[in-house]
Amino acid sequence: MKRVVITGAGVISPLGSGVASLMQGIASGKSAVRYMEEWAGYCGMQSHVAAPAELKDEKKIPRQSRRSMGRMSIFAAQAAEQALADSGITMSLVKPERMGCIIGSTTGSAISISRAFEIMLFQKDLSQMPSSLFFQCMSHSAAMNVAQHLGLTGYVMATSAACASSLQAIGTGYEIISSGRQDILLCGGAEELHPSVTGSFDVVFATSSKYNQSPQKTPRPFDKDRDGLVCGEGSGIVVLEEYEHALRRNANIYAEITGYNTCGSGSHISQSEDTSIVQCMSETLKSAQASPEEIDYINAHATGTIQGDKEEAAAISRIFGSAVPVSCLKGHIGHTLGASGAIELIASLIMMEKGIIYPTFNLEEVAPDCEGINHVMKPLEREINIILKNCFAFGGINASLVCRKLNT
Amino acid sequence: MNEQEIIDITNRVFEESFEIEKERLKPEAHIFTDLGLDSLDIVDLVAALQKSFGVNIRSEEKVRNIRTLQDIYNFISAIKKEGR
Repeated sequence: MKRVVITGAGVISPLGSGVASLMQGIASGKSAVRYMEEWAGYCGMQSHVAAPAELKDEKKIPRQSRRSMGRMSIFAAQAAEQALADSGITMSLVKPERMGCIIGSTTGSAISISRAFEIMLFQKDLSQMPSSLFFQCMSHSAAMNVAQHLGLTGYVMATSAACASSLQAIGTGYEIISSGRQDILLCGGAEELHPSVTGSFDVVFATSSKYNQSPQKTPRPFDKDRDGLVCGEGSGIVVLEEYEHALRRNANIYAEITGYNTCGSGSHISQSEDTSIVQCMSETLKSAQASPEEIDYINAHATGTIQGDKEEAAAISRIFGSAVPVSCLKGHIGHTLGASGAIELIASLIMMEKGIIYPTFNLEEVAPDCEGINHVMKPLEREINIILKNCFAFGGINASLVCRKLNT
Repeated sequence: MNEQEIIDITNRVFEESFEIEKERLKPEAHIFTDLGLDSLDIVDLVAALQKSFGVNIRSEEKVRNIRTLQDIYNFISAIKKEGR
């Protein structure tokens, strides 16, 4: 089995473009959540808050690459450009057939899908359908757009598992490079805001609705006053590279991926449950050959829903007790859904690099049903050698990943 | 609609839909080799011309023969003269 390391990172997040903007926002305790005035027009929509990312500099992407990109694919292309630049990889250094990308999302561009439906259902006139609209709607839109834009000719794949999409993408990339089939894979996810996206959670009462007039107070992961999730958008991309390949070019290495697992709960379409989360984390630890005591930090999925946070806290408690520090980043950037695993993993890698764990924003008083684990309530400086990242998704999908600082 | 109006409207389509600078929009410019359009762009070009000129040219065989901007000016001019 080949070893797999992370040698580059790129982010478009609600806290800005670039990893530095994300980390600066987190370190200074910023929230990117705001009131979405235009959503009040949707009958039955209870949540009017979201964490938008800024779309900018898109015209730097050549028109013929950009025309097939919806908002989320533009985010993905920009994050991929950042990640590639950060890695120092130039195309002349790689065998083209051994470098590709795996980028996941819940769906294709929600805005573009909505536009296509408007043309089909209301205008009923195919001549109004732009030639590239369908390319923006496809489930592998972000992956294929990044591949076309960067000229990647190795594996090109999309993982589509809603909120676990990007962690599955990174995990799948890890397995493919481990197997020796590819040397470099740009992996991650992308997502964009749209009322239909928040609406999909709103109809099952999973969104935050009590803080429409005080948006920065929500979401509140693990807090006693949490009332649901807040959707965000953006993209996170990491460069996964075969260890020897990275060594040969003297690359900067963030961490080695040492373990991964994904599994289904087989029990409920929308409600996560602790038993399958325990299974997922346990199998991940087993594949990483790590004991629970060795984990220095858990970056939780923790969306701020009543049910999900409770189950994740119970699962973490069952394996780790109250020893391992746990925090999550959704209080700052909302739930970036298919992008969340990658964006939050990147932030965790920086925390590992800098030896600091940032607290869960908006966690002021731990809810009784989320007790029993080591919640980080204020910045915690300590050496971090091994981290575990969780992501869970509709459909009972779980994914966990373990990264280890090199030479530890 | 006079010839100049046809030229102006057509050129505006190229500027707005295909982000091509005004200076490059010369009558002899080849829409594929000089202006960089491809087969997908032609679908959008036809849609944009239909909308801009209020014509229906989607099924016109002659669209396939268009190579230069002048060809488009001539094509639209002929259609307009036919009163379509």
